[in-house]
Amino acid sequence: MDINYVAEGEELRLFFEGHIDSANAKEIEDAIGAIRSAGNYSRIVIDCEKLSYISSAGLRIILRLMKDAVVVSVVNVSPEVYDIFEMTGFTEMVKVSKAFRKVSVDGCELVGRGANGTVYRIDPDTIVKVYENPDSLAEIERERELARKAFVMGIPTAIPYDVVRVDDKYYGSVFELLNAKSLAKLLAGDPGELDNVLDLYVGLLKKIHSTQLKKGEMPDCKTTVLSWVEFLKDYLREDLYTKLYSLVEAVPDDDHLVHGDYHLKNVMLQDGEALLIDMDTLCLGHPVFEFGAIFNAYCGYVELDHESIVDFLGIPYETAAEIWDRTVRMYFGTDDEAFIQRVKDKSKIVGYIRVMRRAIRHGGPGDPEAAAVIENCKKRFDELLPNTDNLEFV
Amino acid sequence: MLITKTRDENKLTVEVSGRIDSMTAPEFEEFLKENLDGVTELTINMASLDYISSAGLRVLLLAQKKMNTQGTMEVLNVNETVGEILDVTGFSDILTIR
Repeated sequence: MDINYVAEGEELRLFFEGHIDSANAKEIEDAIGAIRSAGNYSRIVIDCEKLSYISSAGLRIILRLMKDAVVVSVVNVSPEVYDIFEMTGFTEMVKVSKAFRKVSVDGCELVGRGANGTVYRIDPDTIVKVYENPDSLAEIERERELARKAFVMGIPTAIPYDVVRVDDKYYGSVFELLNAKSLAKLLAGDPGELDNVLDLYVGLLKKIHSTQLKKGEMPDCKTTVLSWVEFLKDYLREDLYTKLYSLVEAVPDDDHLVHGDYHLKNVMLQDGEALLIDMDTLCLGHPVFEFGAIFNAYCGYVELDHESIVDFLGIPYETAAEIWDRTVRMYFGTDDEAFIQRVKDKSKIVGYIRVMRRAIRHGGPGDPEAAAVIENCKKRFDELLPNTDNLEFV
Repeated sequence: MLITKTRDENKLTVEVSGRIDSMTAPEFEEFLKENLDGVTELTINMASLDYISSAGLRVLLLAQKKMNTQGTMEVLNVNETVGEILDVTGFSDILTIR
């Protein structure tokens, strides 16, 4: 009996097919033995895409492989075969991954297009976000896990259901269909909605920041921002770099949720309730990291090109600047001008780190537009850093 | 969505059928708010529940949080569709499902 396999370095992938029971288990085990003796494999992946049944005799093959102290995992398991693994307790001993459900978006309604994917409606209750990059599986699973954790902590958001294989080519993430409109769209359609939009926007922001998780359950904001600061090292005057690094490093640790990309397009309104979407930037940390990103969304990124905010949020720059200002005032519930100015300046310091990094990565000093942004950030750091002792909101 | 309740002193059994989605979740939330006072054993029977959306799950989460402070909560007779939703969202780990 032949068994299909692929060997790559120390990993051996075995393809289990059809029906495996006492009638053919011995032959299969012998075949595997022959394959293994021809190489030196420390990991065995058993691909069950074409496996329709496995009896206890078949399961014992896997058990014996595990006893040989190789790392065994079982992938691409159909729901029927998964039941067998589960009933026999195998799922607790070895990592068993279900096959991805297959869907086709052929003829489905196109709901929208985003930076890294296209969204289709696949049935009345669900949409699928299809990722253009075929290697996006790890990223999809990371985002799903973050969204799931936030949801379980009570953050109103769409539930990510399963990951699916789309038209045998791409991966997709299935979400519940929201009957909703983004706050950006709402405001673009009716500027008179500004007060209402701000109430919802700041209300949800406070809810996010009051959500506490355990340290390590999500990435730590400060670690990420420190790595961005390090990225700027070769581009900043030494005294500015040192000051910037020590300011970020001194931000107190915090285990509350930060969205990381909180702007009007990422808040959806459904039946009067604000829902948060786009969870790939979720992290834990001090609110100053959130406010840095908020400043960027409305002012920081477009500081040298106010017009471009219209393409991004569909609102004029004046409105965006007003949203930034009022968000700070409403969040802290004060009009104490000196305090508001301090909050804004500290947020800007965090914001410019990201703006400068982005300009370096997309263009660099050789590109006139990016060079202007980089110079502007340096100027801002020069103005702001000497007058700042810490990044806390005090 | 249809909600029926059976109250036996401090035990409350709620049978919810149909769909709990963004349209009906507020009603479910309101119902629980009005009926949980003095309840130490809450049972939610989902035998005839066809679908639950995130809005509905959040109501369950609120109920669970409330019951954590005053008693116990159990979810019964979850069908396959609803069970899958509870699994993928991680709710199976939070709720007591029988």
